[in-house]
Amino acid sequence: MNRQIRRLGIGMLVLYAALFVQLNVIQVLRAETYNDHPENTRAVIRDFSRPRGQILAADGTVLARSVPIDSPFKLQREYPEGELFAHVTGYFSLNAGTDGVERTYNDALAGRTGERIEDIGELLLGEPRTGDVSLTIPTDVQRVARDALGGKRGSVVALDPRDGAVLALWSFPSYDPTVLSNVDIEAAQEARDRILADEANPLLARTYRETFFPGSTFKVVTAAAGLASGSVTTTSPVYPTSNAYVPPLTSQPIRNFGGGTCGGALPDILRVSCNTAFAQMGVDLGAETLVTKAEDFGFNDAPPIDLPAPAVSPIDDVASFQQNTPVLAMTAIGQNAVRSTPLQMALVAAGVANGGDVMVPHVMREVRDNEGRVVETWEPRSWKRAIRPDVAATLTDAMRGVVEEGTATRLAVPGVPTAGKTGTAQLGNGLSHAWIVGFAPADAPRVAVAVIVEAQPGASEQTGGQVAAPIAQAVLSAALAANPE
Amino acid sequence: MIPVVQRLRRNTELGLILLGAVVTAGLYTLASLGTTANLPVNIGPFLGVVLALLAGAHVATRRLAPASDGVLLPLAGLLNGLGYVWIARLDPDLAALQAVWTAVGITAYVVTLVLVPKARDLDRYRYTFMLVGIALLLLPLVPGIGKTVNGARIWLQLGPLSFQPGEFAKIVLAVFFASYLVEKRELLGMAGNRLGPVMLPELRHFGPVLLAWGASLLVMISERDLGSSLLFFALFVVMLWVATERLSYLLVGGLLFAGGALAAATAFDHVRQRVDIWLDPWAAATDQGFQLVQATFALAWGGIAGTGPGLGNPDRIPLVETDFIFAAIGEELGLLGSAAVLVTFLLLVGTGLRIAIAAQAPFNKLLAAGLTAILGIQAFIIIGGVIRVVPLTGITLPFVSYGGSSLVANYVLLALLIRISADNAESELEAR
Repeated sequence: MNRQIRRLGIGMLVLYAALFVQLNVIQVLRAETYNDHPENTRAVIRDFSRPRGQILAADGTVLARSVPIDSPFKLQREYPEGELFAHVTGYFSLNAGTDGVERTYNDALAGRTGERIEDIGELLLGEPRTGDVSLTIPTDVQRVARDALGGKRGSVVALDPRDGAVLALWSFPSYDPTVLSNVDIEAAQEARDRILADEANPLLARTYRETFFPGSTFKVVTAAAGLASGSVTTTSPVYPTSNAYVPPLTSQPIRNFGGGTCGGALPDILRVSCNTAFAQMGVDLGAETLVTKAEDFGFNDAPPIDLPAPAVSPIDDVASFQQNTPVLAMTAIGQNAVRSTPLQMALVAAGVANGGDVMVPHVMREVRDNEGRVVETWEPRSWKRAIRPDVAATLTDAMRGVVEEGTATRLAVPGVPTAGKTGTAQLGNGLSHAWIVGFAPADAPRVAVAVIVEAQPGASEQTGGQVAAPIAQAVLSAALAANPE
Repeated sequence: MIPVVQRLRRNTELGLILLGAVVTAGLYTLASLGTTANLPVNIGPFLGVVLALLAGAHVATRRLAPASDGVLLPLAGLLNGLGYVWIARLDPDLAALQAVWTAVGITAYVVTLVLVPKARDLDRYRYTFMLVGIALLLLPLVPGIGKTVNGARIWLQLGPLSFQPGEFAKIVLAVFFASYLVEKRELLGMAGNRLGPVMLPELRHFGPVLLAWGASLLVMISERDLGSSLLFFALFVVMLWVATERLSYLLVGGLLFAGGALAAATAFDHVRQRVDIWLDPWAAATDQGFQLVQATFALAWGGIAGTGPGLGNPDRIPLVETDFIFAAIGEELGLLGSAAVLVTFLLLVGTGLRIAIAAQAPFNKLLAAGLTAILGIQAFIIIGGVIRVVPLTGITLPFVSYGGSSLVANYVLLALLIRISADNAESELEAR
C-alpha cells in the first residue's frame, strides 16, 4: 500500500501545483485585465477611498475637501461653499464620474504628480501624498458675481487679461456638488435625477459650455477686423447717417434699434452701437477678413482652459458667406452665423485689454503637496495673437467712449477709466440676451469681464446697458479691489 | 529513547504553536488597523484566548498522545487562526460564534484522544460506523429535521441547534471504508481478467464501487450537494485503490464519476449551470457567475503582495466567510498569502501521508491515508472551485471557513491522525 500512498502524495502535489499555476494566472498574469474589467468596482472604490487634496479659492477658502465617514469608501467629498463654485470645482461622483477641477486636476488632487518620493521610509510609512489645488478665483469676487446676477439666467466671467487668470466664473442656475458626490450611490442618483429634471439645467456650465448670439458685443471683433485691415480708421470711412442699410442681394433692410438713425466714423458708431454702419462695415470688409479676425480672437477653437470640455464658439466658414451678404451683414453685428460662450467674449475683451494678446485662460494658480510645498505653478502663456498693440490701443479708446458717453455708461467704475461694449442679441420673440463686455483700468487693464443675462424682455439696444452693465460694473469693482497691480 | 523523541516532538509542537499564534495575532492587529485604523482594543485577551485554546490542545496531546506527530496541530491551528482573522474582519458577529466553535472543536479533539486510546479500537465497530455514516448522510432528507440552505439540503435542525451531519459522515465513512477494505483487500485485489497491461478484478468485485457511486449520486441529486458527493466518491475510490493496489479501481471509478457527472450535467439544471459558469463566468457576470467573477476580481486585485489585511473589498463576494474565504485571504495577502495557504495544506497532506506510510497495521495505514485524502481533496475541491480549476461545488475550506460542524469535524479528524501517529511511535518502540 505504501507505493499507492506515495503516488497519492504525488497526485496531491500535482493537483496543488495546478492550483498554484491558476493562482499565478489570476493574481499576476491576468490581474491587470481583471482590474480594468468594467464590472470591477475596486478601482473606483480605491479612488474614492484614497485621501484627496483640497480645492481652495484664491483667498484660501476651502471649496472642496474629503471628510472621513463610516463606509467602505472611508471618505466623503464635500463642498462647503455649495453651489457658488459648482461649475468650477465640478463634482466627484461614483455614479456620474467627475467634472470641473475635480476632473482636470484629478492626478494632482490624488497626489499622483509632483516630486518623486524621497526615500524608502516615506514610501512605506509616509502619509499618502495628496495635492491641494489653489484657484485664481477670490471667493468675494465670485460671490459679488452671484449676488449681482441674482436669480436671472445668465453668466459672469471675469479674467485678468495679463495672464488669463479667471477671477469669476459664475452662471445661474447652479447646483450643490456635495449631494452629487454622495458615496451613498442611491442618494447621489436621486439628487442627480432631481437636478436633471430641472428644465433650467443647473448642471450646465453656461459660462464655458453654452453658446449664445453675441449681439453687438461682437462689433468689437468687427471693429478690430476693420482697424487691423487698415481700411477703417478713427476718421474714415464715415458711414452714412441712416435708419436702414440694405445689403447687396436682398431687399430686406437692417435697421437700428427702435428705428433710430445713426452713422459716422468708428468711435461714433461704436458709441451708439450703430447696426446699419457695422453691417455695412462687415460687408465692405468681406467674409474672409471678418471670419479670420474672429478666429484670431479664438472663435472656431475651444479655449484651452483647464476645465473639461469647453465649448467652441462657432462662426460660419468663409465659403458659406459667398453669395450671402445678408448673412454676412447680420454676422458683423453679432447675429445669425456667429455664437459665443460668455468665456469667449471675455477673452475678446481681455485680448483688446492686453494689447491684442489673448492669454490662455486658467483657474489653477498653484498645486501644493500635503506638506505645503509648491509642486506646480501656472505658467502664463499666450493663446492667440488677435491684433497689433496699436489696433488694441485705438479700439480701447473707442470702447472708453462707449462707457463715457455711449450705451455702456453704467459700466463705469468710479474713478477708474473703463472700456466696454454692450450688446442685445435679439431672439426674435420679443426677448433678447443682454450682454456687456469691458475692462478696467482702460490705461492699464487688470480685469476684463463679460456678462450675459439671458432672454430679457425688450429688444432695445438699451437692454444690455441697463440690465447687464450694472452687474459687470459690480464685478469689475470687486475684481479690481481683489486683484491689485 | 522514546522520552527523548517525545520531548523533542512536543517541544517542536509548542514552538510551532507559539509561532502560529504570533502570526495570527499579528494578522488580527493588521486587519483591525486596516478596517478601522485602530489597534484592536481586545488584542491582549485575544492573544490570550488563542494561546489558551492551542495550549490546551497541546497539553492534552502531551498527556494523551505524547509520542504523536508535532506538526499537525500547529498547522491546523494556523489555518484556524487565519480563518478566524478573516471571519472577524468580514463579520464580527460570526467571529464570536467561530471562537465558540473553535473551543468546541478543540474540546472534541481532546475527547477523541480520550475515547480512542488506540486507533485499532475503531476497527471493532465497523458496521456501527457504516450505519452511523449512512444515517448521517441521509438525515437531512428526513422531513421535519432536514433543512435546505442556499439550495443544498444538507442541514439538520434540532431545536436551536443546526449542523451539517455530512461533515461528520465523511470521517465515520472513512473509518468504515478502512475497516471493510482491509478485510476484503485480498479478495478485491485478486486478478480475474486482464485488459492489456491492466489487471482487472472480477466483475462482481466492482459491486462496492457501484454502491458507493450510487450513494454519492443519491447525495448529489437528493441533497443537491455536489461538493460532498464528489468528496465521498473520491474518498472511496482512493481508499479502494490504496487498499487493493489495483489501479483499475481508480480508472473505473474515474470513468464512472465522469459518466455520472456528464449525465447529471445533462439531466439537472443546477449541475449544468455550475458547469456553464465554470467554463465562462463572464457571460453571467451579474447573476449566476457573479460570485466567481467577484472572487476573481478579489484575487486579481490582491496581486502578488495583496492589499494588506482589512484593506481589500472581499465583502462584495457572496458567502465569502464560508465557501469563498480563500478569495478574501488571496485579495488581502496576495499570491504570497494564497500560496502560503496551499503550502499549509500540502504540509498537512504530506504529514498525514507520512503517518500512513509509517503505520504498521493496514487498518491504521488505510485510515490515515483516507483521512488525509479527505483534507487534501476537500481543500482542493473548494479552492479549485473558487479559482475555476474545477467547477464550483460549495464545501468548506477545512479549518479556515466559518462553520461549526466543519471545524469540529476537522478537529476530530485531526485527533484521529494524531492518534495513529502516536500508535506508530509506540509500535516502533516495541519493534526495537
